[in-house]
Amino acid sequence: MRKSIMLGSLLVASLAFAGGVFAADKIPVGHLACYTGPTSDVGGPFGNGVADAMSYINKNGGINGKLLDYKTVDYSYKAPQAVATYKKWMSNLKPVAIQGWGTADTEALVKFVAKDKVPYFSASYSGHLTDPTGKSPKTKAPAPYNFFYGPSYSDTCRGLVQWAADDWKAKGSKDQPKFIHMGANHPYPNAPKAACAAYAEELGFEVLNPIVYSLKPADAKAQCLTLKDSGANYAYLGNTAGSNISLLNSCRTVGAKPQFLANVWGWDENSIQAAKEAGDGVAVFVGAPSWNDTKPSGMKTVREISKMSDSTGKTYRNLHYMRGICSAFYMKEAMLIADKKGAITGENIKAAMETMVNFVPAGLEGVCTPSTWTNEDHRGTTTVGIYTSLYNGGDFQLNKQATIEVPRRPEWLGW
Amino acid sequence: MASAHSRMKCGEFRTTYQQDTTIFPTPLARRVAIGSVLFLLIAPSFLNPYFLNLGIQIGYYGIAALGLNIVLGFTGQISLGHAAFFGFGAFASAWLNNTTGIPVFFCIPLAGAMTMALGLIVGIPAGRIKGLYLAIATFASQFILEDFFARADWFTGGSYGAMANPFALFGFAFDNDQRYFYVVLFYVVVMFLLGANLLRSRDGRAFIAVRDHYLSAEIMGINLTKYRILSFGISSFYAGIGGALFGHYLGFVSAEGFTLLLSIQFLGMVIIGGLGSVMGSLFGTAFMVLLPELMEAGVGLIGHNAPGLTQALAYIKEMAIGLAIILFLIFEPDGLAHRWKMIKAYWKLYPFSY
Repeated sequence: MRKSIMLGSLLVASLAFAGGVFAADKIPVGHLACYTGPTSDVGGPFGNGVADAMSYINKNGGINGKLLDYKTVDYSYKAPQAVATYKKWMSNLKPVAIQGWGTADTEALVKFVAKDKVPYFSASYSGHLTDPTGKSPKTKAPAPYNFFYGPSYSDTCRGLVQWAADDWKAKGSKDQPKFIHMGANHPYPNAPKAACAAYAEELGFEVLNPIVYSLKPADAKAQCLTLKDSGANYAYLGNTAGSNISLLNSCRTVGAKPQFLANVWGWDENSIQAAKEAGDGVAVFVGAPSWNDTKPSGMKTVREISKMSDSTGKTYRNLHYMRGICSAFYMKEAMLIADKKGAITGENIKAAMETMVNFVPAGLEGVCTPSTWTNEDHRGTTTVGIYTSLYNGGDFQLNKQATIEVPRRPEWLGW
Repeated sequence: MASAHSRMKCGEFRTTYQQDTTIFPTPLARRVAIGSVLFLLIAPSFLNPYFLNLGIQIGYYGIAALGLNIVLGFTGQISLGHAAFFGFGAFASAWLNNTTGIPVFFCIPLAGAMTMALGLIVGIPAGRIKGLYLAIATFASQFILEDFFARADWFTGGSYGAMANPFALFGFAFDNDQRYFYVVLFYVVVMFLLGANLLRSRDGRAFIAVRDHYLSAEIMGINLTKYRILSFGISSFYAGIGGALFGHYLGFVSAEGFTLLLSIQFLGMVIIGGLGSVMGSLFGTAFMVLLPELMEAGVGLIGHNAPGLTQALAYIKEMAIGLAIILFLIFEPDGLAHRWKMIKAYWKLYPFSY
């Protein structure tokens, strides 16, 4: 009996600890990360980038002396889990800003963060998050408190399609090129589906029926056979890197060889190494300089940030890590502006974000793309740098093909 | 003489059927039950939202777990598709409210009824097959419904999911933990009383007869097909109500939330709580809800020195549940309800337990 009493009191004590209160002179920030689950292959490095950047900010004096009190929760890419975590935070942590991750959860939280006035910096670049007012006819719901760093999935796909059209012309083929969208039936791969298909049609592509393949890495020979039979020339890959590796291997086996176009999370250094020759020639939007690129002055800061979780400084960080740092640093800069104005509140951070014009966070020159947000347009940037990858026996290369400036058409806002 | 005699009673004597089938076996048990409900009624005024959130979770999952216990623990029919029914209830309530504008207050029981209708249909094969074959048939319904959730844009919003409005009564929105706690508490009390009463009825006894020996039950005149399907229907009704409460609490319903894993968790809840015990369903649910939180708190206590541990938290939580189920199967196959009975007996007989 005594044992169970002790166990019981331990239980109550630890629960009380979990629901504890937080100090007031700190800036509470929520960090929803995906360290496990279907997108953890890219969610891991991105989440590490965000967390290291926030530790680095704290180590260097925080926001004018006020430290970020950030809480990281791994939600395993489950949207309901993310919403539950958000609700839990709103009752104890009360964050003034949140660093988030996936499309399903970010889009589910749009209304919540708008109501609670919490700026939400997602790693989802869904085009649906770009219209703060809801004026655009394509917008389903306004997303006033959503921000992300980088071109939207739709704009990335438009850029890739634009490049594909040029590529087709350069090859001198007279037939009509065929474009196909591939991805899981999930908000993230689905986000650019309609928008990109419409633009591909506009550019003269024949748009084929999309192919669904799993977000969790799995054999995809059936899908690759469908792809081969469809005769597609350009295939957009909407899933993350892990899933694409298995798809490309399957496609190599069955001999489906269209030009693959990968979204920003769909291809990286790890996948080049894993897919080997099967991944040769994949065209991808690369949103950051690579780890070994020492030219940009901002890379010095990146190396310092990396030491927060790796004191040796030897760990190789992939592209997603840099983008995680940028996401955290835009939030930091907005907090600095908000602090100058008065208080670091959600409303002030949003207003500060919307004053940024061709803005690059201090210390990250050459790492983050200059971005602009206004109170009517949350498309931070529409510049899409396209590279193709080459395995090259392990000493892989990412070769720049083009930089596409996707036009900021008003009717594309929120789509 | 008679009255003097009754005063001399020592222990519990039951001389009528009414006394034997009472919900609460002793007056003390009744007082404790009423007392705890009264305590929970005032709890939101002083408990922090974190605990209320846990209480709410225990409430809606507990209702669904009781549903599974009715089909599994009382009728002896396995179901691997309980999470899909739970999800159907959540989607149905959100859909009814969003498309027809019927207040959430009515949508929750309506969603329960819709889920029951679905359960009756899925239950038809259950009337014909049993054991492993039934497990696979319900497994199939889990996958069919999951796929339906991800594709039926008109009903569920497809892969994007559906928004669910907060529960409101005469314009008063139950949109925070303090308020929603009462909604869930109301449903828990009603559904558990219904559940306990069901098992005292003719139908409830028929369920138990089917479970204990289906052939004997049939010889006694019990229509096996009817009661097996009915059991599925009632179980789905509970799942639907639980799901609807979940949907309106979270404010968002996504197809991702109702996977096979949740079905297995429901099984874990009733096994840990105790098969064939109404209160056990609630115990088991409380255990399953609190265990991951306890793991999180534990990792939080020592996590500052071991950052890797925080990253592994998701794994630790899942593993703890698996481990708990295995340990229960080995050391307490009758579940928490049985352990609770043992503890009560210990105090009742103390110090002369033999």
